[in-house]
Amino acid sequence: MAEGLDERWRATGAAPLRVSLDATSRLVGQLSRGAPFDLIVTADEEWMEEARTTGRVGPTRAVASNRLVLVAGARSPVARGEAVLETEIAALLRSGTAPLALAGEEVPAGRYAREALAWLGVDPSALARPVATGGSVRTALEWVARGEAEYGIVYASDAAADSAVRTVYRFPSEAHTPIRYWAASVEGRGDALLDWLGGAEAAGVLRAGGFGAPGEPPIARAEGAAGAPATADRAPVEVGGPSPGSVPRAPRSRGPSLPSALLLSIGVALAAVLLGTVPAVAVGRMLSQRAFPGRTAVSALLLAPLVVPPVVTGFLLLALLGADTPIGGALAALGLPVPFTPLAAVLAAAAVGLPLYAVVVRSAFESVDSRYEELSWTLGVPPRSTFRRIALPLALPGIAAGAVLAFARALGEFGATIVLAGNVEGETRTLALAVYTLLETPGAGGRIWFFVAASVVLSLGALLLYERLLTRQRARMEDGRVG
Amino acid sequence: MAVSGERARIVVEAERRVGSLHLQVDFRPTGRVAAVVGPSGAGKSTLLRILAGLDRASTGRVEVDAEVWLDTSTGVWRPPWERGVGWVPQDALLFPHLGVRENLAYGGASPAQVDEAAEPFEVAHLLERRPRNLSGGERQRVALVRALLATPRLLLLDEPFSALDPELRASLARRLAGWAEARSLPVVLVSHDATDAELLGAERWQLRGGRLDPL
Repeated sequence: MAEGLDERWRATGAAPLRVSLDATSRLVGQLSRGAPFDLIVTADEEWMEEARTTGRVGPTRAVASNRLVLVAGARSPVARGEAVLETEIAALLRSGTAPLALAGEEVPAGRYAREALAWLGVDPSALARPVATGGSVRTALEWVARGEAEYGIVYASDAAADSAVRTVYRFPSEAHTPIRYWAASVEGRGDALLDWLGGAEAAGVLRAGGFGAPGEPPIARAEGAAGAPATADRAPVEVGGPSPGSVPRAPRSRGPSLPSALLLSIGVALAAVLLGTVPAVAVGRMLSQRAFPGRTAVSALLLAPLVVPPVVTGFLLLALLGADTPIGGALAALGLPVPFTPLAAVLAAAAVGLPLYAVVVRSAFESVDSRYEELSWTLGVPPRSTFRRIALPLALPGIAAGAVLAFARALGEFGATIVLAGNVEGETRTLALAVYTLLETPGAGGRIWFFVAASVVLSLGALLLYERLLTRQRARMEDGRVG
Repeated sequence: MAVSGERARIVVEAERRVGSLHLQVDFRPTGRVAAVVGPSGAGKSTLLRILAGLDRASTGRVEVDAEVWLDTSTGVWRPPWERGVGWVPQDALLFPHLGVRENLAYGGASPAQVDEAAEPFEVAHLLERRPRNLSGGERQRVALVRALLATPRLLLLDEPFSALDPELRASLARRLAGWAEARSLPVVLVSHDATDAELLGAERWQLRGGRLDPL
């Protein structure tokens, strides 16, 4: 879908679209911390309000609408091409032998699906088979696609994009709170794109993707509809109004590209290792020396990123380097803005990889008999040159082992990266993020294995190299001695 | 050997605890070559390390040729890299990442000096080898020549010939004695047996229970 939009958009002579796909809550959080977005698209009213409090977001405009459908998987007795009548649905769901998949109640899609069930007069707790609730609507769709659920209630647009499921019933617009997508330009940079998205050309692409026109009049809630829940807090508002209604959804991005994710992962990991080498060698060496004041504290602080959840590390880095912080501001003024750039991915990977790096370097230095250095001193070479001529080369295989381990850790980095760097195709979407994105993408079941294989091969390769280097470090220490 | 009446060139008055050992020595050899013998664990290596400046005495004084290297009462301390000691540890400690020639030249000797010193100590044929390809005895010889090439003012030998067969040991000891004598180089040798001391014609001291006494 995003490809289609991108193609048409570029045909107007504009630069290609770059899409960062995430939950609205996270996108808005990133926006408030200075993410360089041009346009924000969401279906969630409250979060759009929140986005507007940053003062960076212009007027909101509806660009598309969506609707719920009932999808069936391979286990359903409903034949391909057949549609189900509204009156049959309740009986069909009650007779099911496998769960009905819904998104979790905490996300809008889950709430709407429950509204739709209520509209049908079906009490989910009365179904013989349990209702499976995944976190996101995509999880629900995936369950149906894999045959773990017999039916699911999902967005029409998702159903249209996934060939593994069939749409057997389209809920009428009065069955649930209207679902509309709202877009707003950030600091005026997305004005042109916003106008275009509201136009006829984009509407065609959106329609092909299963979305409805934005201008469909808000449907008055069917007052007589059986038990439709009151959703006064989600009352429809005027199109273009300042606080529109809705559901956290963004248009689907271009799928992750394997070469791009692979190259980016390797590049980011290499850069993180380069950046970490001097600190790792300095700290590792310091810790390998005799006790000094604060050694325990330094040691604990160094190891912290190993045990602190990476998302926390990412958050702390953001608190340190975000656009509105002194350091982040200064870097941005120098033309080196950190958040949501490849640099952010490098910094996140370096921070998380540094402890492993330094720990391996430390044990490399510890494995070097300190008498080699003492001997060098007696030959008239002072400590600084001795370090360069003796300790450093003797610890080199171990330092290289640390670099390789840090590289492997950087490849696997996810939590700190997604917080500090976001998930932008071609810029910060590394292998780990690409796999995560594909997990959330309907119909990516086969493709994901290529990414998984690349990730596993690369990581295991690095670990093998690490082991070899450690062996070399051990062997080196036996070479010049007697007895 | 001992030239009486002459001022001692080496003075070590030192006190130091090493684990359970309480080392308390007053070492003033009158001869140029002194050997310290004693059982293992008596503190012989520690005595050498104090002389080299690698271990510090908790209280004491170290003086070589009237130059004060350590005086805990006045706070004088000269670091090892300014002392000019040739230290030959028992296990040779050749730098494993350097070739034999690089090991020998490490202290700043020129290629010509390396070649000249390599000949009498029978390491000339080893110059292009790596330490890992040397036998134990070869490593000890290289370690000795490396120390000599740094033109030390004091030579410290810790069981330097332990890995050599008796014949080679005798010939090497003779050459070393000649080299040191020609340069009037003071030597302190540490050994658990008396043979090396005899070979070098050393004045003998015994270290036992932390005390050092002339024999």
